[in-house]
Amino acid sequence: MNKLSAISIGLLLVQSAYAENNTMLSAASQFNPSISLILDGNYYHDNKKGAAGEYLEEIAGISHTVHDAHAHGGHGLEQGFNLGESELVISAVIDPYFDGKLTLAIDGEGTTELEEAWLQTRMIPAGFKVKMGKFLSDIGYLNNQHPHTWDFADQNLAYSSLLGEHGLMDTGIQLTWLAPTPFYALFGLEALQGSNQECFGALVDEELAHETIDEANMLGSFSEHRAGPRINTVFAKFAPDLGTNHALQWGLSYAQAKQYQQLLDEDETAHSGDELALNGKQTLIGTDIVYKWDSAGQYGQGDFKVIAEYLKLKKDMLVVASGVGVDTDADSVLDEFPLAIASQVTGTQDAYSLQASYGIAPRWQIAVRHDATGNTNELNEAGNPVSFKDSSRNSIAVSFYASEFSRLRLQASQADLADETGKVEKVNQVFLQYTHSLGQHGAHKF
Amino acid sequence: MKKSVVFALLTLFSTQVLAAVNIVTTTSSMGMLSRTVGAELVKVTELAPPDRDIHTLQVRPSMLQALRNAQLVVSIGAELEQGWLSPAIEGAANPKILPNSQGYFEAAAQVSLIDSKLNADRSQGDVHPLGNPHIQLDPIRMADVALALAERLAKLDPKNASRYRQNAQQFKADVHAKMPQWQKLAANSAGVLLYHKDATYLLARFNIPLLGYIEPLAGIPPSASHLLGLVKQYKGKKGVILHTIYQGHAGIAQLAQQLSWSHIALALEPANNDNQQAYFMLIEQWLNAANK
Repeated sequence: MNKLSAISIGLLLVQSAYAENNTMLSAASQFNPSISLILDGNYYHDNKKGAAGEYLEEIAGISHTVHDAHAHGGHGLEQGFNLGESELVISAVIDPYFDGKLTLAIDGEGTTELEEAWLQTRMIPAGFKVKMGKFLSDIGYLNNQHPHTWDFADQNLAYSSLLGEHGLMDTGIQLTWLAPTPFYALFGLEALQGSNQECFGALVDEELAHETIDEANMLGSFSEHRAGPRINTVFAKFAPDLGTNHALQWGLSYAQAKQYQQLLDEDETAHSGDELALNGKQTLIGTDIVYKWDSAGQYGQGDFKVIAEYLKLKKDMLVVASGVGVDTDADSVLDEFPLAIASQVTGTQDAYSLQASYGIAPRWQIAVRHDATGNTNELNEAGNPVSFKDSSRNSIAVSFYASEFSRLRLQASQADLADETGKVEKVNQVFLQYTHSLGQHGAHKF
Repeated sequence: MKKSVVFALLTLFSTQVLAAVNIVTTTSSMGMLSRTVGAELVKVTELAPPDRDIHTLQVRPSMLQALRNAQLVVSIGAELEQGWLSPAIEGAANPKILPNSQGYFEAAAQVSLIDSKLNADRSQGDVHPLGNPHIQLDPIRMADVALALAERLAKLDPKNASRYRQNAQQFKADVHAKMPQWQKLAANSAGVLLYHKDATYLLARFNIPLLGYIEPLAGIPPSASHLLGLVKQYKGKKGVILHTIYQGHAGIAQLAQQLSWSHIALALEPANNDNQQAYFMLIEQWLNAANK
């Protein structure tokens, strides 16, 4: 409450001093919002008859849960032509006090997803800003970057395995403070609802739980969803002033999901008696380093960038509901039982992404990436430790920028993906991708 | 004891704030102008090095830090810097310097622009529909910008208003005093072929024939066939190719060789933290080069 009253006082106190004469030339009309549209598509091929996406989803890790088959139908890339997400971005200054932005993603089938819809304060002094609505969290470095600004055609393994394909994107409120230090120091806090998560802070849909565990033969009960906000984050970013050629930034992030739920069904047969419902918490710590060299070359020639990001996810769960057990030898006596109610299940998984890009010639960029997940990949199920193998991938991408507004990219990836049984699969993927932007001139954050 | 230390720190801090108007400029020409008009009454930080294409510069966190404490941002404007200045201002969390506020100043908004195309689309390259923003090599327009900047500084720091106006008038007078000498330098130029529309205002000001541009469209490098077309067009004629130091396209040298013209790389901006004298030298350099 204190925070809110401070904000409102700030809004009331700040007097905006506006210049009377013509101070800014802008092609956008003063009152119409700026609009830009990103068009994206690819030609895709893999060595798994188009099923590479399934292998990626089955990577051994601590976040597996029963997925709603209906919700995930048709996801993933087909061999051949795919239309990517078309992104419509509308933004404007609302009044002296707020900026607003909306990002709508439309996939190849016409399904729209609201990626961002937020307001941000303009007039709070002393380096403070408040953002509210739905937005990409500012934890990590890559998390707040939209797919069209990535140096690769797909999400890195660290994010996709620990945070989900979209990273951490949710509804809530963010407070940031740019400190008055001689070097760049930004501190931020976020409170997020936790309603839109694939991995971090994900909750089990009650209907899906009932479909999976036979309620007539169930021990315990499903836990209720806590009131939001269920995810809190804290982050800090530091950057020394290294002159005009170099830029270096170091980030630290922490996120906590106050409630996390999993639904496990090892034999993948609903109502068979081996199902488990888990309820608990997750924490995520992360650190990232970005270095950029801005060369004097034209059209991006000689520009160099390195991004290293590390994430570590922990979960602490209790079994809250389970099936009654399975009769494996058909003698009408249950002989295999899932974990007992109230047993503790903890887990730790870490992941990283290491990537670099270089402008090899005017308008041409080459980028390489090594990403891996599960170097630490441990579960402890009621005192029994279980360890999974790690998965890793190497990618190389060559991009050509016909102009600032259009890009063609060829990317090849080779991955060793381990599943929970310990089997390692070699998965190769090739993307030929186009990404074009129309409308307002692009502007990119650091 | 503690109290006096705190007091000393506070006074130190406040005198620092009061001592000078904290100006952040995008380019070094805007920095030169701000220092000329503001003299010892301002503290100027320049964000861009002079050897970069200002249009494609990338945001650095240190820019946000500089803008956080700024009282005035001076940019060339007309969307030239918007790829990096807009996100830098957005991230700086400083309400004083938001676009359209008193702490935000665009040089291009103070003078008339050439080549404005209100029906532009991007098939014409990365055009600026509001007009060519590269006004910094036109000393007369720069003098007008200096007067406007003095008015803005007068609003931000009213008690020194007359000093700012006086300094700007002095700059204008110095420019006008130099004009006859510069016009003489420019008189014999056979014509200039530019790489990009970045010295167009200079050529127009001194009536130097502008032969054309090596870039077929703004922001698009020339293809071999476009270069061949230029060779055919200018073969046997006289002229010189002028381009900026960051325009290093191999086609420039080839074209110069084919036409037996000289090609000269020049800075578009004075060096960082330079003064009026350095800016005048830069104008002279361009005019001398136009005669070669």
